[in-house]
Amino acid sequence: MALQRASRPVAQCIRQSSSTLHARTLATTTTTDPSSADAAPPPPSEPSSRTRNPFTASTPAAEKQLAQQKQRPVGSRRRRAALSSTTQIPFTQLPYQAFQEARAFLQEDRREKLEAIGLQRVKIARLQDRVVVGEQDGEVERRKQREKDNRVRSMGRRLEEMKVQADINDPMVKKRFEDGLGDMTKPIYRHLANTQWHSYKRQILLQRLTQMNVVPDVLPALDPIVSTGLAFPTTSSTTAIRSRLKRIQHGDFVPSALSSQPPTLWIQPYNKGTRLCTVAVINPDVPNVEKDGFDHRCHFLAVNIPISPTNTKVRLGELGSTSESKGDVLLPWLPAYAQKGAPYQRMSIIILEQPSPNHTPIVTTLLGAVAESQELDAKSASQDSRYNVRDGFNLRSFVDRYGLKPVGADLFRTKWDEGTAGVMQQAGIVGWDVEFRRKRVEPLPYQRKASERYR
Amino acid sequence: MPLTHPKAPSMATLACLQFALSTLRTTHHAVPAITHITRRNASHQAQGRANGAKDGAGKRLGAKKTGGEYVVPGNILFRQRGTHWFPGDNCFMGRDHTIHAGSPGYVRYYQDPARHPKRKFIGIVFEKTQSLPQPTHAARRRQLGMLAYQMPTPPQPETTPDEHSAAPTKSRDGTTVSIRNSKMNPGGLQLTLGPGYQYRQSNYEIGRSGDKKEAAANAKGKTIRAFAKFKPGDRFAAWRKSVVRVARSRERKVMGRGGKGGAKKKG
Repeated sequence: MALQRASRPVAQCIRQSSSTLHARTLATTTTTDPSSADAAPPPPSEPSSRTRNPFTASTPAAEKQLAQQKQRPVGSRRRRAALSSTTQIPFTQLPYQAFQEARAFLQEDRREKLEAIGLQRVKIARLQDRVVVGEQDGEVERRKQREKDNRVRSMGRRLEEMKVQADINDPMVKKRFEDGLGDMTKPIYRHLANTQWHSYKRQILLQRLTQMNVVPDVLPALDPIVSTGLAFPTTSSTTAIRSRLKRIQHGDFVPSALSSQPPTLWIQPYNKGTRLCTVAVINPDVPNVEKDGFDHRCHFLAVNIPISPTNTKVRLGELGSTSESKGDVLLPWLPAYAQKGAPYQRMSIIILEQPSPNHTPIVTTLLGAVAESQELDAKSASQDSRYNVRDGFNLRSFVDRYGLKPVGADLFRTKWDEGTAGVMQQAGIVGWDVEFRRKRVEPLPYQRKASERYR
Repeated sequence: MPLTHPKAPSMATLACLQFALSTLRTTHHAVPAITHITRRNASHQAQGRANGAKDGAGKRLGAKKTGGEYVVPGNILFRQRGTHWFPGDNCFMGRDHTIHAGSPGYVRYYQDPARHPKRKFIGIVFEKTQSLPQPTHAARRRQLGMLAYQMPTPPQPETTPDEHSAAPTKSRDGTTVSIRNSKMNPGGLQLTLGPGYQYRQSNYEIGRSGDKKEAAANAKGKTIRAFAKFKPGDRFAAWRKSVVRVARSRERKVMGRGGKGGAKKKG
């Protein structure tokens, strides 16, 4: 291949010189017209009409042909040039001694770790088989059972750690994760995704939640362990077959026209297992003139939504509508609106995990597995007078009543814009022609002095 | 008795001393007469500078409203140099660290270890019975401070664009206005509301407009290019183009770019 590469300019030179040499020799030796001696002038060179590979097209002409094929080049131009000029050796077989020796060392290390994982599994099985027997019926036995459970749990956590450590040094794993091809059923990819989320996006989310005071106003405390993404459809779902989605960053202002349609929510957990979640959208900034304060309003409430590391997409408008989509909607989507003159309103989306049936503590640590969630009785919840009205909805009370655990949150804001009146009218909301103006505060009385100077 | 700095001995004292010393002296060398002794006048740094800065007039700093007083927004609560006190709930700080009230209520001076372990705060509560700091993890106390009015001219709610307009909505955030048949937009362009409250074409549309016009002209067998497409090696075409360009730039220099003649400007 290297020889071919080196010979390319030479071959080009030979090709060119052969075409010109022929004409020149003819011109010098004979008097006849060289063009007539030639059978026919060579046809003008057309660009070769072969299909271009988007991974290897790096020259301007090649990129142009690729564009004509209606394809986009993949990767940077340097990468494409490198791929086109090197042979297609798989990365793991590159012939560099230090690299291959390092790979051999890491593979040996991985073998040892896999053996250790096997041993740990055997230990856990043996421990689980052990029967707890107590002298006195009651306290001692309960204590021993608790200790055994703790040991099993911590050994399980250690097992998950070992699984991650076995794969973390593999360059192909890192490459696959960075290309977005990581399989979320495997603990290593979940670990890498979780670390990446913790390093930046989770900090941004916490900053938005604390700076905008969602945490003391809506919930007393919130420790996000699932990552969230939010997007609104840009066209009405009735007219468009496939509507475009506009992604919303945490804390963004969303125009009323956009938030009139129910959004799509992505909920990504980082521990294995399917769990049932509740999604509640609360607006804690509803102005109340009588009490000179603010009320809470629930814009959406749905329970029993199954979420797993591989099944993360939740279309809030389609929950419970078809037999396929699971989840029970207690309060359907109400468009977000802020009346004219009122301050901006925060729409907080809280994701709550439903508890397990026998109320065992849910092990939702970084490397632990999640216990099976209990289905919430949607019928009884929809008949409870505290939770079937939107105005004055108290999320703290709802969380306490059903033993839910807040695991994630998202936030967007809404304010009065040109489309709000239309959205409110379409949704049948009273008050689209109401505006708020600041109350005049009487100034404090002060002694007016006699002279004109002290007016 | 006030302290005095040591004074130099008087002439009489010196004379007595000299006589005393001369009786004790063994030799009889001529003793040089005490001709002139330098006098040192008292001068000490504690006297002070003649042209230095003196202590200025008092600036009336300190608390202007005591704890529990009713205040209205804007009232000054505390004047200070630097931040001895920090603004707490419903208070704000001016450019010279003056703490003002942000809402009507009662003044409270307090410490909030959860907010900062050492700082002192001045805040406002809405009722006399309330105190600061607020309990941790509780929903904040907030006042609306507004009244609701009927809008004098209710807004005309715009019909949703995707149902009634012929042109597709292209804007990223769902708000599109196409100003057609207006003096400002004779070309009938699709103008969308951008982040700076401008109605404008998006940048990619502007960038593609040239290509689109060329494609439309090509479809009719024409071209909008002033010159033929550049062919590397065709020096004759390049020379023709440069001749035209030079002539045009010469003309522009003589005529001026857009105003009075360029020849008039110099001199």
